[in-house]
Amino acid sequence: MEPEQIKNIRLLLVDDEAQFRSTLAKRLQKRGVVALQAGSGEECLSILEDHPMDVVVLDVKMPGISGIDALSQITERHAETEVILLTGHAATQDGVEGIKSGAYDYLTKPVEFDHLLGKIIQAYEKILGEKQQKEAAEYRARTKQQMIATERLAALGTLAAGIAHEINNPLAIINESAGYLESLLQKQEYADMPRRAVFEKALKKIGGSVGRARNITHQLLGNVRKTKPILTDVDAFELVLETAQLIKKEAQEKEIVVDLQTAEALKPILTNPNQVRQVLINLISNAIHATPQQGRISVEVAPTAGGISIAVSDTGTGVPKEHLEKIFEPFFSTKAPGEGTGLGLFVTREIVEKLGGTVEVMSKIGQDTRFTVYIPDQGRAENMGNR
Amino acid sequence: MIKIPTNILLVDDEKDFVEILAMRLEEAGEKVTPAYDGQMCLDILDKKPIDVVILDIKMPGMDGINTLHKIKIMHPLVEVILLTGHGSTETAIEGMKLGAFDYLLKPADFDDLKAKLSGARKKKEEQDERIRKAEVRQLLRRGGNI
Repeated sequence: MEPEQIKNIRLLLVDDEAQFRSTLAKRLQKRGVVALQAGSGEECLSILEDHPMDVVVLDVKMPGISGIDALSQITERHAETEVILLTGHAATQDGVEGIKSGAYDYLTKPVEFDHLLGKIIQAYEKILGEKQQKEAAEYRARTKQQMIATERLAALGTLAAGIAHEINNPLAIINESAGYLESLLQKQEYADMPRRAVFEKALKKIGGSVGRARNITHQLLGNVRKTKPILTDVDAFELVLETAQLIKKEAQEKEIVVDLQTAEALKPILTNPNQVRQVLINLISNAIHATPQQGRISVEVAPTAGGISIAVSDTGTGVPKEHLEKIFEPFFSTKAPGEGTGLGLFVTREIVEKLGGTVEVMSKIGQDTRFTVYIPDQGRAENMGNR
Repeated sequence: MIKIPTNILLVDDEKDFVEILAMRLEEAGEKVTPAYDGQMCLDILDKKPIDVVILDIKMPGMDGINTLHKIKIMHPLVEVILLTGHGSTETAIEGMKLGAFDYLLKPADFDDLKAKLSGARKKKEEQDERIRKAEVRQLLRRGGNI
């Protein structure tokens, strides 16, 4: 193990013999390990409450609670701490029992220093290894979850587009029928028809609802359009400024402050400007809808390793955890019927993925919500595969 | 001024749609002939003078794009407006490359449809006019040679 890593070991020495402890601590310090000391099992446990340790070197035979009792409490309360027991020469049985109750290992007194240091390092390596394994397992679980979510969304997208397509034809018939009747009612011969106004009103409602349904089907189908991508050098902050102009009126009506920020060294990236603009419009207008009167929205553009990131934050009410999981699914909406199609974020995500990027959301209830979009520079060699 | 009706051939396999849109267009002063598939559309074009074809892209048998292809070979002066319930504007754009005048997404806005119909008809009339003038010039030249 590198000396640099040895320095990181958080070590606690527990022994009722102060002389033994301080000598050991001094020798360890010479080798780069700074150790805390405790004179009893009780003191050891109380230190561990506030100072998590990697390794505890624990004398078995102490007044007060014994090393073995202290060990069982450590394994119970501080599962990530490894314990090395120090036993008397005649008490190897204690050591074996200790390992059974979860100690990393035991050494018999008198202890040879290098042997002890070796064990401490081994115990620490075990912790590091377990930590890495745990991280790898978490990463795998997260990736798997993301993949499931991606597949689920793709399937939903295909299904939604299929349904939209099938619905368009009957919708067209409803539309033309209502329109036909409306045009008849305009004629002189129907001028005195009884309850004509009621018929007109009902037909208008049919027409209006067809319009609503059409918005949904066209949005869904527009999504699966396979138009050839236009790629050009895009200054993302220019697009942000443009979009801010488009939504200025809405923001002013609610007296919302829109704060736009960019990194100084932002270089243009090769991507599809229309799609980035669409994403910005969706995210920024969502932020305005979510933010109460006199709130604040911020948009930050920053360079990343392979492209840029755009973060849109609002000072709304936040999104509950159970909604966060569904927020990118089609038709998920908390708005009143007719106010939102539930497709904005779904479409946003589809577009971003088409650009080879990703979109993330973070939210704190009662505070804010932040969407971050990562868009790769398709002009860079390592991103060429995304074309 | 009396409106001269546009002779429209309306082609869609959804009979209910053809029937009701034909009624609506007739109500708006146009002359509509219905057809329910690509072959029927071509047969009618052989027999009847038509200004504009409104053509559904997705039909069983000969689809709208194939039908359009044949219309443009046999009746190049007839203008075609494509209708699509399909999301693929890509197909519609391909259709425009094949010579369609324009396209509309179903369900279409009636005012949009009327605007595109009058545009298509105007284009056809201009084309007819140019051909007539060319024929006159040709006759005159021939006359001069005699």
